[in-house]
Amino acid sequence: MSAVVVARGLTKNWGATRALDGADFEISRGVTGLVGANGAGKTTLLGMVLGLHRPDAGTIEVLGHDPWTFGPSVRARVGYAPEHDALPPDMSAHDVVRHLAEVHGLPRRAATERASDVLFEVGLGEERFRQVGTFSTGQRQRVKLAQAIAHDPELVLLDEPTNGLDPVQREEMLHLIGRVGHALGIDVVLSSHLLEEVERVSDAVVILDAGRVVASGRLNQLRAGTEDELVVSLDDGSAAAVVARLQERGVAAVAEGDTVIVALEAPVVYDLVRDALADSGAALRRMAPRTSSLEDVFLAAGHAE
Amino acid sequence: MTTPVPLAGGRIHEGGYRHYDGPRLGPGAAVRSLFRQTLQRVMGLRRPARTKALPFLSVIIAYLPAITFVGLVALIPGRLDFVPGYARYYGFITAAILLFVTFAAPEALCPDRRSRVLSLYLASPLTRTTYMLAKAAAVASVLLLVTLGPPLVLLIGLSLQGAGPDGVLGVVSVLARIAGSGVAMAAFYTSVSLAVASLTDRRAFASGGTLLLITGSGVVAGVVVNALRLSDGFFLLNVNVPPLELVARIYGKPGVIPDVPTAVVAAAVAAYTVAGLALTWWRYQRLQVTR
Repeated sequence: MSAVVVARGLTKNWGATRALDGADFEISRGVTGLVGANGAGKTTLLGMVLGLHRPDAGTIEVLGHDPWTFGPSVRARVGYAPEHDALPPDMSAHDVVRHLAEVHGLPRRAATERASDVLFEVGLGEERFRQVGTFSTGQRQRVKLAQAIAHDPELVLLDEPTNGLDPVQREEMLHLIGRVGHALGIDVVLSSHLLEEVERVSDAVVILDAGRVVASGRLNQLRAGTEDELVVSLDDGSAAAVVARLQERGVAAVAEGDTVIVALEAPVVYDLVRDALADSGAALRRMAPRTSSLEDVFLAAGHAE
Repeated sequence: MTTPVPLAGGRIHEGGYRHYDGPRLGPGAAVRSLFRQTLQRVMGLRRPARTKALPFLSVIIAYLPAITFVGLVALIPGRLDFVPGYARYYGFITAAILLFVTFAAPEALCPDRRSRVLSLYLASPLTRTTYMLAKAAAVASVLLLVTLGPPLVLLIGLSLQGAGPDGVLGVVSVLARIAGSGVAMAAFYTSVSLAVASLTDRRAFASGGTLLLITGSGVVAGVVVNALRLSDGFFLLNVNVPPLELVARIYGKPGVIPDVPTAVVAAAVAAYTVAGLALTWWRYQRLQVTR
């Protein structure tokens, strides 16, 4: 899978503050979550992807080019929706999107047609000729997304796109982002401090902490290393008996209420658990490997540092 | 692109996302688009009616004297004594020019920073420099509408009635002076007003600041020359003096500070223009939009 963004030892200082500290990562096709607390360096990193800041050290390549050297041509292929409000309130949504598509290199006629198309895509087809200033926060977030994809970019950078949205609007926005990244085939970098929403739509993550990349990769790979326990949920208070049977067979297990946590050291453990359940006559409700959330990965990465 | 779907007696267009495989224009197109959008913004086009009032009022004030003089010449043939010279004409339209100066640059620059749409422009093929280029060109074009257009109307109107300059050479000579004067004034006021507007993201402050600079510098120049008894050259501190004085010299008139050499006046206009543009460029190079 080809990398869309490659950074090696990327460092950026703002005065005495080190915003990025030797960041190493690759962003591949699909939706990638850029995760970190506020101030972790996410927005600085997006600025460097756009070629707006020169690295103090290290290198970054975006779509095969150095964005600082080839800024205009890289930015023509990239869409960007910033975290903050960034739309002129006294222009219609259609005029804003059309104009920004033109600025990104589309001829006027194509920009006009595509402005309508993308506004329909984000669910603002009927409202597209209304002034942006009359829109709700959720609608303005959609206009920001629309202008970011209107010129059909190869990569789109979304900085905290669910900021200020209520749960329903947030759900709809995440659905749209997933559609952009998966159905429309535009690679997405989704910057967010909300792990749960990144986990919902992302294929991969880059986790930043105080300017350093503490973990990066495909989500399933990051979680894989933590799937080393089997969670066995029981219904009838027989957890202690099951644990005893397992220990007789040399399997490490502990009871937590009606749940038995079993060390998943080898595939044969599944057979041994089955036998222990049968021998003790326990009523099984559910059995599955323990899968860690992105939060677990984030915490583990933070602690590892 | 929308895909036409055949339908009996007509067709419908399916709204929604399509990939684009047509031509992509370069940074030049980005500059042109921003230039056009800024022109529209300053003139209030594609915007509510109230935003059109000030620019169109300025245009009317600027062109009305020229149209009136041309009309009077047509009504009273042979009488030209009430028609001012081209250099003096600027005195009739100073109000219109200053009105444009105080709102054009603030309208062009401030809303982009206030609404933070600047961060979207700088995430496009535009750079800080090409962004400024488009903005400066748009403001200059709007100002040319009032610094270049009215004298041209006067020249054309009088010439069509046989009351213009003598011969082709005379017309060309006046044309060149009109062009030189109009461009110099537009460049001067574009630069100065952009510099003031680059210091704030509020239009009202930028307009007020420009007005304050225009009036305040007059007071300062007056005090410096009259109270401190310094040379008339210090009248050039009044930001209104250098462009109007240069226009007078272009038309071969002595102006209000005849003892000051024309080269000094031209240098003052150039210095103000370069300093204003440099300050604006410097401000925009240092603006943090994505950090």
